[in-house]
Amino acid sequence: MTISSAPDEALVLAAIEQVWGSMLFASAAPWPADRPAEFETGLQAQIELRGDWNGRLVLTCDSVVAGQIAGAMLGLGPEEQLDQPDVHDAVGEVLNVVGGSVKGALPGTSALGLPGVREVTAVPARDESFVVSWGDAPVYVQIVPDAA
Amino acid sequence: MKILIADDSKVMRQIVLRTMRQAGFGHHEFVEAVDGAEAEQLVASESPDLVLSDWNMPNKTGIELLRALRGGGNPVPFGFVTSEGSEEMRETARAAGAMFLIAKPFTADHFESELSGMLG
Repeated sequence: MTISSAPDEALVLAAIEQVWGSMLFASAAPWPADRPAEFETGLQAQIELRGDWNGRLVLTCDSVVAGQIAGAMLGLGPEEQLDQPDVHDAVGEVLNVVGGSVKGALPGTSALGLPGVREVTAVPARDESFVVSWGDAPVYVQIVPDAA
Repeated sequence: MKILIADDSKVMRQIVLRTMRQAGFGHHEFVEAVDGAEAEQLVASESPDLVLSDWNMPNKTGIELLRALRGGGNPVPFGFVTSEGSEEMRETARAAGAMFLIAKPFTADHFESELSGMLG
């Protein structure tokens, strides 16, 4: 029997559901394929996995969602605001924990990189990602293998 | 007791500190390091009674930090708080001299379970 060393949507979604639940006290669910999931400015976090499978996990969300995720991590009230570096830090750390869970579940994965976060002005293509919910907002997730 | 928290994420250092308070250890003194290199310096200058360290950090990783401390003869109690909790990493941590490895996401119960015997 061959055990796949590539992360798939079900594995990454399970990791996100665990992190949403335990760190952010929120639930994640698949976003309906026919529901629009647009936003104009947001944050994109990515982290590399190295081993039998080489590539990166990418998480993209709206700027407001990023702030809400950071606030939830730190247990802040709705009126409390975080500095932008702290929001970047928090979103990167969420993906870091997701990446750690994925790495632990994949045979032959030897290294997890450090998360990187940048601002983006466009959402990823729907056919190159899957979308999960943060409350009533979309969060894009991509599993991107290195180019052959 | 003095506890050193080493993590390159400021948010995660805050969460570890909050969780330590939730676990009933908030009365201890806390010192923070932004990476393994600063943690090694602070172990020397602050003489903490316990180090809680992330694994993946720039400049010096947590496992490099632990090996440097033990290589220099420093026996400070050391535990990992990291996003990776595979059995292979736990064994690597144990072999290098770590007391425990708490995997993120964690709860106050995890800290209480690992540290109640030591911190009371």
